[in-house]
Amino acid sequence: MPLKIAEKTQERWLAALAALLAAALAWFAFGWQPELPETPLPRAAAPAGGDFVLQSAAGPVDLRSFRGRLTLIYFGYTFCPDVCPTSLAATSEGLKRLTPDEAARVAMLFVSVDPERDTPARLKEYAEFFHPGMVGVTGQPDELAAIARRYGAFYARQAVATAGEGYVVDHTSDTYVVGPDGRLLGKIGHATPPDEVVTILRNYLKQN
Amino acid sequence: MKKVSLLFSALCLSAGAWAGAADQITVQEPYVRLAPPNAPATGAFMVLKNNGDKDVKLLKADNPASKVTELHNHINDNGVMKMRPVAAVEIKAKGEAVLKPGSLHVMLIDLKAPLKEGDSVPLTLSFDDGSSKTVDAKVVRPGAAAAMPPMQHQGHKH
Repeated sequence: MPLKIAEKTQERWLAALAALLAAALAWFAFGWQPELPETPLPRAAAPAGGDFVLQSAAGPVDLRSFRGRLTLIYFGYTFCPDVCPTSLAATSEGLKRLTPDEAARVAMLFVSVDPERDTPARLKEYAEFFHPGMVGVTGQPDELAAIARRYGAFYARQAVATAGEGYVVDHTSDTYVVGPDGRLLGKIGHATPPDEVVTILRNYLKQN
Repeated sequence: MKKVSLLFSALCLSAGAWAGAADQITVQEPYVRLAPPNAPATGAFMVLKNNGDKDVKLLKADNPASKVTELHNHINDNGVMKMRPVAAVEIKAKGEAVLKPGSLHVMLIDLKAPLKEGDSVPLTLSFDDGSSKTVDAKVVRPGAAAAMPPMQHQGHKH
């Protein structure tokens, strides 16, 4: 008899211990947040895209002048240490793999979100380094913010001690695809390999 | 001549004796991405293969072409790509660490002079046991790097 009681007590203890462990586990899984994100950035609902006029080394560039062509738009900045070169190199390589006929139907804009440092002349040199047809544009900070918001792109300045002139600009690294009618069709993800870029662009060219 | 070669092998042996982790690590396809005009920084990329039975950490990289050399990684924070320094790159025993665009990489910050296509940059990699090795990384135009044929580069040890 005493043995039975001892067993019962043990069982109760075990059950309590199991419950405690389960609670701890649930807390770890759902309640434990060891670190907070550096700069929380808002996410937009379905971005609308739309027309804009920005400045290039050769004067104002109006997105409406690209009607009839598929236009790729990338938001970045020339001091970008690695994210922009990675993405621009992959996209440019994809563009170079299109046939001349296909390439004639595609344009690309590099929109600098760092107008303080990116002059149109600097942008031209930078964009053409990746692809001779790429056009570098920028504008006033409030204009750029409004355009980026419409396209669903985000950027935020971060002070980093070792970065060129004291800051980097964290930003989304998608390439937006605007149709021949000016409508925002979709986006190509960061650093999509050149072959995939070709496949995606050919699909858009077929549909539009 | 014999004396010289004897001296040479002795040097190699003594270097090997304390090379440690550097001995276990093979560096494949090291290259530096040609920086866009006026760019103050660029990345270096490679595959680090650990042939040994012990995990190795790459703690530091150095090069004479830039004022600062850092190990960096890309973080995708809700679609926003962020580049941040990392303290070390771990190379698991019998495993490899891939340093590539959009991922882990060596950052050459504040280039002393613009690098040209075809230049060679000696990169010194230092590991957690104090050993190090230097590899020559060719400066390659972006895009060309993606199409580069896989080559085996064996670095010289220090």
